[in-house]
Amino acid sequence: MTAPGFDARRAALHIALACGVLALPSLGALALDARQLSGVSVWAKPLKFQLSLALHWATVALLLGLLDPARQGLPLVRWALRIGAFATLVELLYIVLQAARGRASHFNHDTWLEALLYTALMGTGALLIVATTAALGLALWRHPREGGRDAAWLGAVLGLVLGSVLTLLVAVPLASGAIAGPGPWVGGLRSNGAGLPLLGWSTTGGDLRVPHFVATHLLQALPLAGWLLARGAAGGRWPPGRAHAGVWGVAVLGSVLVALAFAQAVAGQPLWARGGGAGA
Amino acid sequence: MSAVPALPLEAVFGAVSGVAALGWALLILGPRRPWVRWLLGGGVVLGLCLVYGVLVMAFFFTVPGGGFGTLAEVMRLFTVPEVALAGWVHYLAFDLAVGLWIAQRADAEGVSRWLQAPVLGVTFLFGPLGLLMGAAVLAARRRRGAGA
Repeated sequence: MTAPGFDARRAALHIALACGVLALPSLGALALDARQLSGVSVWAKPLKFQLSLALHWATVALLLGLLDPARQGLPLVRWALRIGAFATLVELLYIVLQAARGRASHFNHDTWLEALLYTALMGTGALLIVATTAALGLALWRHPREGGRDAAWLGAVLGLVLGSVLTLLVAVPLASGAIAGPGPWVGGLRSNGAGLPLLGWSTTGGDLRVPHFVATHLLQALPLAGWLLARGAAGGRWPPGRAHAGVWGVAVLGSVLVALAFAQAVAGQPLWARGGGAGA
Repeated sequence: MSAVPALPLEAVFGAVSGVAALGWALLILGPRRPWVRWLLGGGVVLGLCLVYGVLVMAFFFTVPGGGFGTLAEVMRLFTVPEVALAGWVHYLAFDLAVGLWIAQRADAEGVSRWLQAPVLGVTFLFGPLGLLMGAAVLAARRRRGAGA
């Protein structure tokens, strides 16, 4: 049963707006609060998560425009957006609560409650965000607009599905601390204080947030590549079949980049060593 | 270590109180136009909510022994100026939101602006007491309307 009045794009946009609104008080708190965690303001992490989840759902909203308008209200689509919205907001609220308390949200095993909330609440929340995003990709794969199976659609489907799968594959070793203990760092300084601006990635050792970033932003990169290739095909610059092959090529390239970034992090090498070549 | 400026708390207090007082003057004396409701509800109330959010996120958990569990915990919260200011902004934001709701209901029931003015004035200064008065006026108006 499809719900005829349901607008999937608008629902995804509402999630993005809720994340963006939460970023406003975080920005104010960042300016006023002197407390630090891992060498940076306690509000750096909430702000990063609010902005990146706003970008995530705004991208999903944009891509849902490629969905068959008659299938907007599919139960799969509606439930994916409901569960995704709930998981996103619970995740952000816990991150904000822990920042307000001056405590770590991720990698925090200091008390049994925080360890439980990190693994059960944060872990489940992140898994649900990834799973619902992939589910929306499957819905888009099954139900494109009429005659809409062009390169832009393929890029969107691959961005939603492959981006989610690779994000999950990187996030499991990152979040569990299985490689080098709790935290994203492998070797080098275990702090964000000397990290890259805003991103915080280590400049002295490996950082598993790099492959996470590359995998997660395939959600933007693959649809963008698909859109550009489809435009070229529509303009007669190359045949549509070539455009589809190009999208697959970019998808393979993106996966290789994730693997390389992961290997580099596990090897304890920074993506960018400060002061030139101090990484090796 | 980034330099964090000390918040000029009295200046912030003066600014939020002044904006709220101007908002109340507009609600009590001004026209009942859509732009007034937008300005007060969307601008002033939500702006105050944002200020509250910043203060409470940055300072609420910095109060040793503060909390909502006992009167003593709540009183300890108010001993820290930043958190006391957050509490004050909470009053301002919610009182004005309630005032907007009372005015909207009263307009819909056709309650005179002369009667609304004292009810809203009390809501401005002593929130819940004004809401009590507003609820009584609205209930009386509705009963008379049903009986006629």
